[in-house]
Amino acid sequence: MSLDFEDRFGLGPGDLRRLLETALSRGGDFAEVFLEYRTHGFILMEDDIVKETSESVDLGLGVRVCQGEKTGYGFTNDLSPEKGLAAALSAAAVADSPGPIRVFGRRIDRSPLDVYPVGEPAHRADLKAKIDFVRDAYAACLAAGPAVKKAKASLQDQVQYLVVANSEGRLAADARPLVKLTCVAVAEKGSVREYGFSGGGGRVGLEYFRDTLTPRAIGAESAREALLLLDARPAPAGEMPVVLSPGHAGVFIHEAVGHLVEADFNRKRTSIFWDKMGQRVGGPLVTIIDDPTIPGYRGSYAVDDEGTVPRKTILLDKGVLVGLLQDKLSARLTGRRPTGHGRRQDYTDFPIPRMANTYLAAGEDDPGEIVRSVKRGLYADRFSGGQVEDSGKFTFSVSSGFLIEDGRLTDPVKQATLIGSNLDILQKIDRVGRDLAFGHQTGSCGKEGQDVPVTDGCPTVRISKMTVGGMA
Amino acid sequence: MSVRPDDSPGLLGLAERLVRYARRAGADEFEVGIGEGTELSLDVRLGEIENLVRAGSRSLGFRLIKDRKTASATSSDITPETVEGLILRAVGRAEMAQADAWAGLPELSGLVPDSSGLELYDPAVAALEPGTIIRSALETERIALADRRITNSHGASFTTHEGRSILANSNGFLGEYRKTYASLSLALQAGPTDDRVEDFWFSSGIHLAGLESPESVARTAVARTVRHLRPRKIATQRLPVVFEPLTAAGFLGFLFSCVSGTAVYQRTSCLADKLGERIGNGLVTVVDDGLLPGRLGSAPFDSEGVPTQRTVVVENGILRRFLCHTYAGRRLGLAATGNADGAGIGPNNFFLAPGPHAPEDIIRSCGRGLLVVRTLGHGFNPVNGDVSQGVFGLYIHGGEVAFPVSEATISGNLVGLLHDVEMVGRDLEFRGNVSAPSLKIAEMQVSGL
Repeated sequence: MSLDFEDRFGLGPGDLRRLLETALSRGGDFAEVFLEYRTHGFILMEDDIVKETSESVDLGLGVRVCQGEKTGYGFTNDLSPEKGLAAALSAAAVADSPGPIRVFGRRIDRSPLDVYPVGEPAHRADLKAKIDFVRDAYAACLAAGPAVKKAKASLQDQVQYLVVANSEGRLAADARPLVKLTCVAVAEKGSVREYGFSGGGGRVGLEYFRDTLTPRAIGAESAREALLLLDARPAPAGEMPVVLSPGHAGVFIHEAVGHLVEADFNRKRTSIFWDKMGQRVGGPLVTIIDDPTIPGYRGSYAVDDEGTVPRKTILLDKGVLVGLLQDKLSARLTGRRPTGHGRRQDYTDFPIPRMANTYLAAGEDDPGEIVRSVKRGLYADRFSGGQVEDSGKFTFSVSSGFLIEDGRLTDPVKQATLIGSNLDILQKIDRVGRDLAFGHQTGSCGKEGQDVPVTDGCPTVRISKMTVGGMA
Repeated sequence: MSVRPDDSPGLLGLAERLVRYARRAGADEFEVGIGEGTELSLDVRLGEIENLVRAGSRSLGFRLIKDRKTASATSSDITPETVEGLILRAVGRAEMAQADAWAGLPELSGLVPDSSGLELYDPAVAALEPGTIIRSALETERIALADRRITNSHGASFTTHEGRSILANSNGFLGEYRKTYASLSLALQAGPTDDRVEDFWFSSGIHLAGLESPESVARTAVARTVRHLRPRKIATQRLPVVFEPLTAAGFLGFLFSCVSGTAVYQRTSCLADKLGERIGNGLVTVVDDGLLPGRLGSAPFDSEGVPTQRTVVVENGILRRFLCHTYAGRRLGLAATGNADGAGIGPNNFFLAPGPHAPEDIIRSCGRGLLVVRTLGHGFNPVNGDVSQGVFGLYIHGGEVAFPVSEATISGNLVGLLHDVEMVGRDLEFRGNVSAPSLKIAEMQVSGL
């Protein structure tokens, strides 16, 4: 790869080295420069018209200095030499003992990973072609029935170019595409009003919306959920068996395990898992993996935001805690290898350990048999997010589901939040289906004020008992 | 008000030039906002500095209307070549959108609202040095860690921001104001690893002198954390529920999302057809006020240049007003309320008016009940008004706090809950853009065992 970033950022290897030298001028173990240029496009359709289009440009530079457990950070969106050096001096303020700097070469270290299967890059595509996709989703949503009163469809695409140079001699770059098409439906019947959501995309090209998931399917699916909810009952309240649908229920894994195996929380001993490495923390059916290398997935990348080539990381193996999501800082402080999970929202943030594509590995059970095994419980089908704290208490919200009565799905039920404690709930996973799937490729995860794109997945899962926050 | 009279980086001039450029490029109407800010933020943990961030940045956003078609853009690169390119491309994109009869900039009087009475800028915040905030954050955490019940710390943080907002449009509006922000926060854990509990406390504001002391933040954070120790699960039942101010504010944020004009015209609000109707009992009065001096949500004008104002949203239970930017207002036949926030409609100082009761008296009024002290997760559905939220609470028995509760949820429907408001506290404090005093709901569904 040529150093085409010199054209994009107006900074060459000599400039980067000067920034690193300035960053380490007061000392420190490690310094890093992060350059980012990102463009983002947006098309919105509602009220039967293409209502708005927008575009955004993010350009900036961040400098980080680490000394021991301390991090100094400065950033600027003015790439002039003076502002860059000022950012480096801001970062340097945290350090107070001299450190070494290794010189990197003139060539970018290429990642061996090819995780962006893009035929037609969305950011270069004709606006007209993208508008047609949005129209198709919009039309399919409204066409689902007269009770669908309102549709709103949008397409967002971006490309993020980044360069990372650090004092260990690493010079890495990435160019990450990302696209998503989403549709929201509002359905009404009498005084009852409900909404449904669907979407798709990933680090893919526009051909995805012809070959893999069509805008029509997205529009129709959003309407299906809204229409279903018009006839839904309030969810039940109290403890009961819960069966999670394949794919979308991955948010459960994200909250119950994913955040608590982020290395920073374990290094700081705030995660309930910090003293449990090598120990059994879940049932034998529970194997959980994070893999940033799945081609085309929203959470994937060729290098992380510290320039590390990521690897598929096993977190829980048959219930035993075996791995953590490491960034460079936590790895260095705990004597481990980085796993390539150091991510940041943009150049205004320093990287921290984050999830990418997190999932519960497939088991051997027949999904239909799992539902038939439940006498009375909740089938949780679609989801709308969740939250966890380091003690392991977590929630996730079901946006639509069904009652299970005598082993059959019966009435549709509305939104409910489920709550539990992870060590308890992980022991109660007693059936795992063979039907691993991932949810919508539209989600993001927030941590310490930083949002990054992620996906999660799981097969059909039975939790023998969990508190369901319904109304009846 | 200490507004620097100079415009040293020439941002006002840039804004005016861009308006002229866009008009020449074919825009019928054009609006540009430029933000400039510096931040200094610090995290300390277990007595050591953890992160120190110091940075300055600028950003620009514009909206362009041509033949009633809208295109917009934002950029952190404000060099003329980049922004002019964005304007030209936006003109091209607008041509591919479709005419929207309601699109357009607000009709403004031409008078730019003055910010001088709003007390939005504290030079003491702008002048803070790292050494000062490091001492303050370290002291906050040290006081908390001296309590032996505290077993770990997420750390203390001191964050400051100084910013300048500029807005210009093709109707001749040119305004600016400066604002400061400071906050001191602390998050703690108590108990052994497998029975950990956690909580936090913070103080934030525009003025440094208004911040709580390190001692006060530390004591409150400790008290809030240790009261969760040795929680129990409780049976699924219907109970009176009392919200503390922080969790009541969360509930009020849900109400905000239902009175936002965008949600109303898009029919994604359960209150869309309820203007002028009773949506709660007489104890419920909700106000949005952008003109409260020295409050975090105050500003002289919103992101469209519309002057902020005091808007009574709910008056003694009657829904009086939706909060609108110009577009939503035109859709609904209502005037804009000064709530445009760039991306959509946002709260200024949106609050539940205080009632007569001391919070202790509200707890004392409950034979049995659940005091909700923290929430976990997102459980609001503005379209149908349903609430289902994970909570940490304290069980109330015989008018007194009996024991902490974990792994419980509360559920209900917004309109039903507003009708079931039984007591409103007098303890309103403005801690952010959305604020509320303590609040008692006669009964809610609580799920547990």
